[in-house]
Amino acid sequence: MKTKICLSILLASALATSAVAQGNPEDGFEPLFNGRDLAGWEEAEGFLVEDGTILTRGAKAGDLYTQAEYGNYILRFDYMLSEMGNSGVFVRAEEGEPLEGRFEVQLLAPWTPYRDDLHCTGSLYGHVAVTSRPDESTDAWHSMEIVLDRDTVIVSVDGKAVTWAQTEHVESLREKNLKGRIGLQGNHSDPNQWVRFKNVRLKNLDSDVGYVLRGFGRSEPQIRRTTRDAAVDLGSAVIPGLCRIMASPDPVGPAAAREALFAIAAQASAPDYPSDSRDAMREMLAGERDRAESGEVKGYLEWLRGMLTAGD
Amino acid sequence: MSRIGRTRSGPLGRREFVRQAAVGAAGLTLLSRRAGATPPSDKIVVAHIGVNGMGRNHIRWFAGLEDVEVAALCDVDGGHLGKAMETLYDIRPGSRTEAYLDFRRVLDRKDIDAITCATPDHWHALVAVMAFQSGKDVYGEKPLTYSAREGRAMLDTLERHDRIFQLGNQIHASDNYHRVVELVRSGVLGEVRKVHLWKTGGSPDLGFPANEAPPGALDFDMWLGPSREVEYNPARCHFSYRYFLEYSGGKYQDFWCHIADVAFWALQPKGLRRVSARGESPIDGIADAPAWIDVDFAFDGLDIHWTTEPPDLPGAAERGIGAYFIGTKGTLVCDYGTREIRLDGEVLEDLPEVPETIPRSPGHQQNFVDSVKSRIHPESNLAYAREMTLPMHLGLISWRLKRPLEWDAEKERFVNDPAADYLLSRDYRAPWTLS
Repeated sequence: MKTKICLSILLASALATSAVAQGNPEDGFEPLFNGRDLAGWEEAEGFLVEDGTILTRGAKAGDLYTQAEYGNYILRFDYMLSEMGNSGVFVRAEEGEPLEGRFEVQLLAPWTPYRDDLHCTGSLYGHVAVTSRPDESTDAWHSMEIVLDRDTVIVSVDGKAVTWAQTEHVESLREKNLKGRIGLQGNHSDPNQWVRFKNVRLKNLDSDVGYVLRGFGRSEPQIRRTTRDAAVDLGSAVIPGLCRIMASPDPVGPAAAREALFAIAAQASAPDYPSDSRDAMREMLAGERDRAESGEVKGYLEWLRGMLTAGD
Repeated sequence: MSRIGRTRSGPLGRREFVRQAAVGAAGLTLLSRRAGATPPSDKIVVAHIGVNGMGRNHIRWFAGLEDVEVAALCDVDGGHLGKAMETLYDIRPGSRTEAYLDFRRVLDRKDIDAITCATPDHWHALVAVMAFQSGKDVYGEKPLTYSAREGRAMLDTLERHDRIFQLGNQIHASDNYHRVVELVRSGVLGEVRKVHLWKTGGSPDLGFPANEAPPGALDFDMWLGPSREVEYNPARCHFSYRYFLEYSGGKYQDFWCHIADVAFWALQPKGLRRVSARGESPIDGIADAPAWIDVDFAFDGLDIHWTTEPPDLPGAAERGIGAYFIGTKGTLVCDYGTREIRLDGEVLEDLPEVPETIPRSPGHQQNFVDSVKSRIHPESNLAYAREMTLPMHLGLISWRLKRPLEWDAEKERFVNDPAADYLLSRDYRAPWTLS
């Protein structure tokens, strides 16, 4: 089992991350489910916690959404379906009416005649078929991993990659969100059927400075937007990398890096921002200014530093 | 087109210029000055600075006025000068006009009474201030200035040197705007406490062009002028500079003067207290001025709302730019050339009972020329234009900082937000100073 998981991690890491495959394969993962209650999740009908698992049963269950939004990540969990269980995982769902922008990774017991490759477990339901069928046995725990790496999606079941897609090459996925909440779909086959989840955990790639900085090489509008926003969320940690990108001759990265630098400094310039953190950022900008070789970058950083110095 | 000499000293002689720039022969064959009814003593001598794009309109407009001599054209790009000279010669064959690459040499000329300025925004204030200091009046393009504080420096210098300034928001001269102001001020709409302003569209997709060496005919260092030193990128220079915050403020800053004008003229808002903006920058290219921007302004007894999309109000949706006055008794929506009054369930174009009280403009440029002679300030004079454009700058600062801002109208600074104050101005790159 462990070696199988490592294979899918390697596949993911080749496409997505630098640090995943090093050390413990669980490094960087944080639980989304504490095993006791649904803290961190919105309320939803038809869901409860039992024996350290999330249980959904009934024909009219709602969908259970995380409170937080996630853009790029590796999501892992274990699931068990009853004989006719029908569920799924929604990814990148916006708040409110989360229908248009999201898509679903399917979880489905193999009882229905409609379980073709486009609608079986591991498929991106209705959008991308599995390339190899996973083990669909019911009443048994299986593990699933979903990698969302900007426009790349990889789904693995029991350590074996079953679905791979690049959203820009799938017309129906092209306009989907690049960030949003994660949702567990309530069982919706039969009142006596059920689905269980456990060990739900997530590695947020957008909290990895190197990962976010690599996004600045991308020119696709939505990827640019989410990359810039992720960098601004990271704050001062990403400043040295943004300064390097700003100085690079690449035509794509510098404009967004420059804008992200402004947005980070603008946040820190707010009157209610902690003054010691603002001072630290100012020092950091001064250091980067001194290190910069490009006059253009030097001038810009000095100007930003000035914005954080104003009023002193 | 051959490259024009980079001499900074003295004008290029006309004959020399024509030879170098390969202007068509029209200018050479008709050397006699245009005979006009206006005696030379009543003519004002004008120079145009920044002669591509809008600057070519300046040439057409001013060369079309009887009482104007066009003495000089100036641009940091020699290629522009050649085309501009052709435009001028089409209207005034044989005009005795000299071409310059450095506007300071134009300002040195004692025979020039007034200049017009259609440079990029980041040059506006400096050209105007230096022109005032050299005793010249100025017809300056919108959006007045690059930064908020530059407007104050312009006004101080204008007053010190007793100069005339007209902002180039030429819609101001229209009969429609004059009439809207009369209608709103007449009180037929009741008390107006809310105005919506809008202009659709934002910064376009400019893609990701690479930096390159500046074209030989362009003095790029002079183009940058007081702005920061950067590498040349064609998308950040002529025409599309407007979509970069280093030089301008996008469509919002570009069109503010045209439509906010009618609201500020009619209502003279005072006591701005709060500015709160929302919006996004473009994601499909290197531009960074707003893709969209909405701003709420709270004045004393008046709320002004700027949006990138038309408000959901009758008569608004079909107008790409507009002003919507909401009064206690009725509403009025207008754009450059049309207006609709909604009063007691009726839609009207005019109300004959409201008398015509504001003298009509003889034309925006003629109004300026008349002011140069009479020394009476023109319709869109500097004191007015500065009041009207200042809130625009504050809205852009709120948009950039992504937070609402409190404004102290008396002190002309933000309340408890030094970073916002910092963005009211930008230090000039040496050797340029605004003093």
